[in-house]
Amino acid sequence: MSSPIIQCQQLSKQFSGKLALDNISFEIQAGQPVALVGPNGAGKTTLLSILSGYLRASAGTVRLFGHKPGSSALFGRLSALPQDAQLDNNFSISKQLSLYARLQGMTRQQASSEAWRVLELMQLRDAGNEQPAALSHGMGKRVAIAQALIGQPNLVLLDEPTAGLDPTNARNIRQIVTELSVDTTFIISSHNLAELERLCSTVLHLDKGQLQIQTAQPDNQSSGYLTVHMLDSPGIELLSSLQQMPGVLKVKQQHNNEYIIHYDAQRSADFDQQLLACLASKGWNYRQLIKGKTLEEKLFSGA
Amino acid sequence: MSAVSPAPTHRLFISHLWIIAGFELTRLFSTRRGLLYLITFAVIWYFILFYPISMAAGAVQNSEHNEQGLAFFDMLGLSSLLLWKVPEFAVYWRFALYLFPLLCIFLTADQTSSDREKGTLRFLTLRCSRDSIFFGRFAGLMLIQGILIITSLLSTMALVLWRDLSLFGAALNSVLAISVNLIFILLPFTAMMALLSAAVRSARQATVWAILTWTLLAALLKGVATLLPSLFFLQYLVPGMQLPALAQIPEWQTLQLAYIPLMQTALLLLAGRRVMAWRAL
Repeated sequence: MSSPIIQCQQLSKQFSGKLALDNISFEIQAGQPVALVGPNGAGKTTLLSILSGYLRASAGTVRLFGHKPGSSALFGRLSALPQDAQLDNNFSISKQLSLYARLQGMTRQQASSEAWRVLELMQLRDAGNEQPAALSHGMGKRVAIAQALIGQPNLVLLDEPTAGLDPTNARNIRQIVTELSVDTTFIISSHNLAELERLCSTVLHLDKGQLQIQTAQPDNQSSGYLTVHMLDSPGIELLSSLQQMPGVLKVKQQHNNEYIIHYDAQRSADFDQQLLACLASKGWNYRQLIKGKTLEEKLFSGA
Repeated sequence: MSAVSPAPTHRLFISHLWIIAGFELTRLFSTRRGLLYLITFAVIWYFILFYPISMAAGAVQNSEHNEQGLAFFDMLGLSSLLLWKVPEFAVYWRFALYLFPLLCIFLTADQTSSDREKGTLRFLTLRCSRDSIFFGRFAGLMLIQGILIITSLLSTMALVLWRDLSLFGAALNSVLAISVNLIFILLPFTAMMALLSAAVRSARQATVWAILTWTLLAALLKGVATLLPSLFFLQYLVPGMQLPALAQIPEWQTLQLAYIPLMQTALLLLAGRRVMAWRAL
């Protein structure tokens, strides 16, 4: 197994005597995007800031690719979208992105074309000669993401990358993350669990400064759970039909149209097909069928 | 675009310092704020050149040949002006000694403070060290001030040569002596602003603190030194403490006191670097 790209051991951070991170330890391997979730004030931004070298930990050790945060060995390898950071309003966007690319070791010419490449990636080519103050909040966020992609870093930390973006641009960013995940590991902090569920295979759950859960989502192995979102709501009749299916242990109606089915995976290996057949026979339309529980259910159901 | 192979740390530091210093230079010539400063600088020096310098130089030149004139300058405490070979530069020196440090405080007040508040430093520190940013911006601003000093000196030289072409050699000597001296004088002021900018939240706060340091702290330390002469050395901490002494000596002799700003600069930069390294971004 290759060495982890991030190693945190007994990491703590205090602000005016209040613990923002409380003795957390974890390791992350290079690969699929990692989700960082938790309520407001849980310590997500603090953790990302320590990893980026913006903040010093009060205690514990942090290593990225074997180096301390802020080390010159990480320049160009680690990149980040810091929360609420803005470019300098005195210079055009392309000029500043070119400066960043030059600092990463590119020549003037390479830096200029790299700046335009990442702007193109974010569909912002027309805004390249604008000054940051002329951009909307969403465009500013996309520019900040563009800077994080300069030079194709190995590790990118994204703090709420799609917050405040319209659905089209949020989708574009998800696509970019998926495409670049082959060579780059992304750590994404977000409150959008559905988005993280689509992108990430590993979840770091922070709550009150403590790392509550570190889990790899199941791939194709049966977890004994299916989540079905119905298009319409047949109500009690559907609930009753599901409970009578062979192998079903428990059915929970989560929202009006969402049902979580706990079943015996050993006894009913083809339970998903049986479920689809059942729904079809009754003429009930479903919107989505998820193998396992949703991320929201996993994190907050306590089950 | 493929990743670029890493260079040794010291080479990386110098390379980053150079890039950041060069970028600061473009701030003066390609931003609205920089151009506004340039216009202000040009207007101030236009009036200084064509009124005080031109007129006072004439007065100095006339008094060199009569005893009454000499006595008059002596009475005003300006007899040192007569030590200069080119009178225009004697007057220039008197103005520049206090005007450049004052302009320096305003020009260099925002080395890192607003970029820290806006988060721009977070983008930069992903690619270069805090040291590179701190020293790069300091170097860039010294470069800018060097350009402004040379420009104003060359304008004064043009004024001298317009009057008397035979003064070319003496004027060139004065230009070199004053430019080297002014750079030395501005080093600790720029370093003080680098330290303050790293410590406070805005350029305005840095300017207020600089003025307080330059006036109240200087007066306080002078008072302390009067009461307790053994603490006289504390006055060496105030940038510009040597300016009154410099006003009394001409041209290259002024380098006798260069150790004071150099020592202050080293101390202030060390302190500023420390603050820059420890502050959260």
